[in-house]
Amino acid sequence: MSNRTNVGGWLKGKTVRKGGITSSNGHTARSSTPQVQSTSSTVFSGGVKDASGRTTEYFSMDDQCPVCKSDRYLNPKLRLLVSSCYHKMCESCIDRLFTLGPAPCPICQKVLRKLAFTPQTFEDLTVEKEVAVRRRIAKEFNKRREDFPDLHTYNDYLEEVEDITFNLINDIDVPQTEARIAAHRTENAVLIELNLQREEQYAHALREQEELERQEKEQRALELRREVEIEREERETSQREIIDRLETSTKDAAKVIAKSRAEAMKRSSARTTTSTVLRSSAQLLRARAAQSTVIPDPPHIPLQDNWDSYEDLYTLKDQYDDMYSDAVRKDREGIMRAGGYRVEEAWDRALRCAVAGLDLPPLPGLNPSPERTDVAMASV
Amino acid sequence: MDAVEKANAERQKRWVKDRKVGEGTYAVVYQGREASTGRKVAIKKIKVGQFKDGLDMSAIREVKYLRELHHQNIIELLDVFSSKTNLNLVLEFLDSDLEMIIQDRSLVFLPADIKAWMAMTLRGLEFCHRNFMLHRDLKPNNLLIASDGQLKIADFGLARDFADPGHKMTCQVITRWYRPPELLFGCRYYSSAVDIWSVGCIFAELMLRTPYLPGESDMDQLKTIFRALGTPTEEDWPGHTKLPDYVPVGQFPRTPLRDLFTAASGDTLNLLSRFLVYEPRKRISVRDALNHAYFFALPHPSHPSKLPKPATQTSRPLEELDGNVEMAGAGPGVKANAPNKLKRKLTSPDGTELRPLARRLDFTQLAKHS
Repeated sequence: MSNRTNVGGWLKGKTVRKGGITSSNGHTARSSTPQVQSTSSTVFSGGVKDASGRTTEYFSMDDQCPVCKSDRYLNPKLRLLVSSCYHKMCESCIDRLFTLGPAPCPICQKVLRKLAFTPQTFEDLTVEKEVAVRRRIAKEFNKRREDFPDLHTYNDYLEEVEDITFNLINDIDVPQTEARIAAHRTENAVLIELNLQREEQYAHALREQEELERQEKEQRALELRREVEIEREERETSQREIIDRLETSTKDAAKVIAKSRAEAMKRSSARTTTSTVLRSSAQLLRARAAQSTVIPDPPHIPLQDNWDSYEDLYTLKDQYDDMYSDAVRKDREGIMRAGGYRVEEAWDRALRCAVAGLDLPPLPGLNPSPERTDVAMASV
Repeated sequence: MDAVEKANAERQKRWVKDRKVGEGTYAVVYQGREASTGRKVAIKKIKVGQFKDGLDMSAIREVKYLRELHHQNIIELLDVFSSKTNLNLVLEFLDSDLEMIIQDRSLVFLPADIKAWMAMTLRGLEFCHRNFMLHRDLKPNNLLIASDGQLKIADFGLARDFADPGHKMTCQVITRWYRPPELLFGCRYYSSAVDIWSVGCIFAELMLRTPYLPGESDMDQLKTIFRALGTPTEEDWPGHTKLPDYVPVGQFPRTPLRDLFTAASGDTLNLLSRFLVYEPRKRISVRDALNHAYFFALPHPSHPSKLPKPATQTSRPLEELDGNVEMAGAGPGVKANAPNKLKRKLTSPDGTELRPLARRLDFTQLAKHS
């Protein structure tokens, strides 16, 4: 029963590699479907699928077809499949018996079709059957705790589901049980559909979350690697530094080494503090938010200085008779325009410089002309 | 010792160099303090001897513009003095930059944090543009964060004034990942829109926590941009095929921003898409951006004191500097903004009192010396 220990592996979606050839005792091994060489022209699907949608096929060195008694020694390509009545037989028997249409099972006489054969996953066929039945039932009976008014009715429901499952697995009152299932299906069609959708959504969310977690983990690993790299580099440079110092300085060697070590320690401790700060950035943000209530943020004031730009003393005209900027205004190629140069700024500057002088006290020792202001204003 | 030398020596005495913080191509940065108050500063010592045509261009630019710009979202130049043959710039000391914060994986950004950083960046940039200055090297690395959370634009080594009609400007500016397509096409006449593109890239980077358009070469940069935003058509951007270095880079379809920025709100994506418009004249202006619905929608931008900061305040090994430790402040989180003095004064047309102005030629001192 060594394959039993592998059940966990199957549940996690691991593929257990085909080991038939390597296991010298020739006991058990498994292989996923594509690795099994099929001798039949029919593709057998179905069977118990794992999380990734693959079927892991059971395979043993002791396999023997119960119908034709052929075994792996006689036919190394022997592949046993399971019928819907849970009897094994080899592919060649299936081809022989069922190619011409439905025929009775050679073991239990139940009428079978060729396509109803599925690959075998578990060594024990009762387990195979139980898994198949439970899957089927879980699809139909998917009510949740929320769908019931109280725990008691929910427990009754679970009890009933378990009852039906048990009956199906052990073939007790099969027609009656089937009737119960059909009744349940017709009664709760809407709810079943709804729960199916819910489950799908849940699975989708789960996948997304897993993806996010994976990315985060990768990011963290990357950061860690970078940190290790930096640390290594630092160590190297510090070692080089020690050697350099030992070469050049005349001080005691032990002292030089001790000093460099102390510096390296300081650096590494500084790094750890920064990394801890990094982790608590969320806390930091909260602290900042709390702080904002202590000192209020004043509303925006565009300009906060008290410098005067004399805009009240002049108005800029659209056009001036200005020989200096003629070249600019003509600007044959449009180069100045494309570069953003504007002659208005030159005029603005000239005007502002002119009016800025109006407030200045006259120079001592000079005779200020009395109509100074008027002249300046007129020129503007 | 003449008067100039004496004045310089006096200035030099005001500042104490403590330790070296970093070294760049043209400068060494020291952490220092003001001798009288103990206030932390950064001292940028510019190596002069190395360049045969005198002082490095970027040092001149930095001094020239920082001397004039004073704004809460722009790094402050406190003093300039010379020592031996070197030029020293005394800047406020800021502990961290936005790049460090973006790369610190232990920090969590709230949408409100991004909004606050964007608002501060845009305010600083608006001030530059209002004073007709292009920054031309905006990137998270150049946006420094003060200890009270204020963001300050730094590194004016590539800055220049703009709007001179007919003056060619170089297109070899702005760090590649933040460079707009018109510069990649070799355009020599451009406008404030180049900085806006960089802001758009930074905005995207704040959301993605990784550079948005990381091209490996100038050619690859164009390809990266077009792959992300689609190849522009003549309709999207009239005249771009006539630009000096225009090369067809291949056809890429336009993919909606929503595909990449899955968690962003509609306002956010609208603002981002308006930062990253191909036609520079249609790109949103800083002032319009500051008035965009994104900033007024909830959540309000975080209070600067609550913005995430890197846990370990290590000194940065780069040439750019760092925040000002407020000695007066009771600690982070307690100090509020300076009361909002808000906006420009639109009244007082009589102008009897002096208005504060960004670029003033101060003739009084000149007159005194002469």
